[in-house]
Amino acid sequence: MSAYRTGGPLDRRRFLTAAALRGATVIGTGVVGTGALGAGVLGTGVVGATALGAVDADAAFAAPIRPLDPAVAESAFAEGRITGIDHDVLRVAGSYGDHFRVRVTGATSVWKARATTAADIETGDGLYARGVPLPDGTLAADAVWVNIVNLHATIRGIEKARLHLAHGQHEIVGNLMPERTSASYGGASPTADLSRLTIGQSAQVLGAWRPSDGSVDLVRVAVAPAAGSRR
Amino acid sequence: MACGSTKLWNGEATWFCCGNAWGPCAAAGGGACGTCRSSALQAAWPNASKACWDITRPDLCGEDIPRRGCGSVMKVRHDCSGASVCVTVSDCGPRTRSFCSESTCCDDVCRTNRVIDLTPAAFSAIGSLSSGTLPVSIFE
Repeated sequence: MSAYRTGGPLDRRRFLTAAALRGATVIGTGVVGTGALGAGVLGTGVVGATALGAVDADAAFAAPIRPLDPAVAESAFAEGRITGIDHDVLRVAGSYGDHFRVRVTGATSVWKARATTAADIETGDGLYARGVPLPDGTLAADAVWVNIVNLHATIRGIEKARLHLAHGQHEIVGNLMPERTSASYGGASPTADLSRLTIGQSAQVLGAWRPSDGSVDLVRVAVAPAAGSRR
Repeated sequence: MACGSTKLWNGEATWFCCGNAWGPCAAAGGGACGTCRSSALQAAWPNASKACWDITRPDLCGEDIPRRGCGSVMKVRHDCSGASVCVTVSDCGPRTRSFCSESTCCDDVCRTNRVIDLTPAAFSAIGSLSSGTLPVSIFE
């Protein structure tokens, strides 16, 4: 696993804010829009390029936001269920009766079981968003994680297409995704080989919750190293 | 104790949800301290109490982590980006013993064993939730 050096959080924040304020909004195409930076770069993928350089999805997610103004909080955070989508603004009902409006721009990194675009966001999804508060009350999102869960569980059953997991007092069905689900054994690099998962193992499962049936699409299942391999 | 610069520990940071929440986290509750919320800058510590220690058992992984109870404040720094966040201990965790020797690296820095569990708000302040773990240093 790697983290990423973040060369320009200030630049990224400046870009994000400018993009939100000047309408560089592109939803659903993965396009890096025009506006704050002049001519944009059109594309269809998640990874694009801007005047600031490459916009790599993982690097962008990892880049923490720091304020330009020391009096401004370093970053803002929102969580809850999406109740509506108005163009580039997600209306979010927080878990404590609070409400947020999260603005998604061409500079926003979106994760929903993979790095993707805002087109994949749906009403009813759960959300964590990191961003910058704007004067209009919206949160200009730097990164949005949709339906992401990271659960400590115990493997109770293994089938060809799914795992049965115990999470606290609850049972969760984990959907294995062909060519997508990976396993990490003892912190080693993720592998497509799931054959070493066994019933009874403690596992950390990172995935995307499905609001429709409560199951979880498994992105990565991490288990401890085998006893003999412990350092 | 405050969000200071005295080194306390280092290792892996993971993240978890707590408080009122959506999806599988809906039943998470307020944690061992009763105050935990995913949207707050909070953390779970493996030695928040004797009862907590008996569950997490970091010593089984060679980590003799000191006790810091509910309300303790720590600074957690991402060892590669240098980004940091101040958190308040609000729960017990992670279950260190279940992942002994697990290691997370970035660039030339590796940290071994899960020693702190951050809320989504705290974890996302210094890294990406989709990474799952981060190598961190902890100060108080």
